Amino acid sequence: MAKLNCDHVIDYLNGTLSKEEQLEFEQHLKTCTDCQEIIEMTGDLPYLADPVDPPAGMKARILSTVFEEEEEQKKSEEVKREPAPLIAQKAVKKKNRWPVLIAAALFVSLLGNGYALLKLSEQPETGGEMAFQSIDLQPNEVFGGTAKAAIIREEESLELVVQAEQLEALEGEQVYQIWLLKEGKPIPAGAFTPSANGEGNAYYSLEDNTEDWDTIAITLEPQAGNASPQGEIVLSSEI
Amino acid sequence: MEKSSDFVLYERVRNKDKEALEQLYDRYEKILFSFLVKMTEDRDLAEEALQEVFIKVWRGVGEYDESKGKFTSWLFTMSRNAAIDLIRKKKKPSVALEEAGELVSPASSVEETAEWQEKKEQIQLAVKDLSAEQQKMVQLFYFKGYTHEKISELCEVPLGTVKSRIRLALKKLKGTLHDMQERGDSPWRN
Repeated sequence: MAKLNCDHVIDYLNGTLSKEEQLEFEQHLKTCTDCQEIIEMTGDLPYLADPVDPPAGMKARILSTVFEEEEEQKKSEEVKREPAPLIAQKAVKKKNRWPVLIAAALFVSLLGNGYALLKLSEQPETGGEMAFQSIDLQPNEVFGGTAKAAIIREEESLELVVQAEQLEALEGEQVYQIWLLKEGKPIPAGAFTPSANGEGNAYYSLEDNTEDWDTIAITLEPQAGNASPQGEIVLSSEI
Repeated sequence: MEKSSDFVLYERVRNKDKEALEQLYDRYEKILFSFLVKMTEDRDLAEEALQEVFIKVWRGVGEYDESKGKFTSWLFTMSRNAAIDLIRKKKKPSVALEEAGELVSPASSVEETAEWQEKKEQIQLAVKDLSAEQQKMVQLFYFKGYTHEKISELCEVPLGTVKSRIRLALKKLKGTLHDMQERGDSPWRN
């Protein structure tokens, strides 16, 4: 980065420098009397303003807000600090799963290009106990959307990440519901609604995965929470 | 004297001394509010900006130390930026130059403190030493928070020279003030 100098004093005043640049400029400021003078001038200029009497009660309003914010901050910190032991344990477990989830999400997002194949061949490095599987879901004859899924099996757990695109907008309480099926018997495995640009993501995790799923499907359900599919299958694939 | 006591107060604020924050507030309420009203031309917006400033001071955002210059320079700059943020968020930026007002305004009816009066008179004298264009630039940049593009357009100067021209104007202003203070017995420069 070019050394910050007098040219940056205006940016410094405007607060548009990055933290790093700001520190660098402050180093320059220590030895540059020109810039020191300009900064000093900003301690004088506001006196050009006409005096305005502060509104009644402003001090009380401002100070109480300032101190209240502090209280709220403290409270929320306290809440964070005292989770029940059970939750704490769960939280730790969840936290450990993040790398897996990030890897899975990245993996899915890479599927659309040749790089995915490259990554696919590198998969063994993720360890013997973890298995990745990528799936391209096929739309039915009339559905315009596409979806990719990644299934990560690790010991007894299964994680499923789905990314869909070009989805049709939904009406009312409709959701896109994901199902895992074995021999035609489905279980719900996450649901999503598309964003304004027709994209949708879902993550689903099964702690004790004993089944050997053979199909993944996405249906258009009239509402969320159905235990078995009511709507038609819009996207599906064998696993 | 005032400089060190500002710093002492600030240090106490950093240690979450509410009374110190209140003292700091009392000390700068009027100048900050007046400054913010000059910038925003809106008393509600000025109050909102002032609140932002004290929330930041209390939380220790953008920590002050003496290497950053005078405490007032730091406090005023933070206030100015709070006002600019709010102006950009809430108000349509005014384009017409007439709306931007003058750097030096006609005498006001509200009584000024003797200290304020003295500072103001000195700065006003120094401002007179600036060219009309320089005065305009300081007003648009410093008090109105206009973007460089807008300043370039309104002052009819090339965009690439806006920053250096503002810098020169501020430097000249400080130089003139400095000379005046050397000559006189100003109480507000150490």
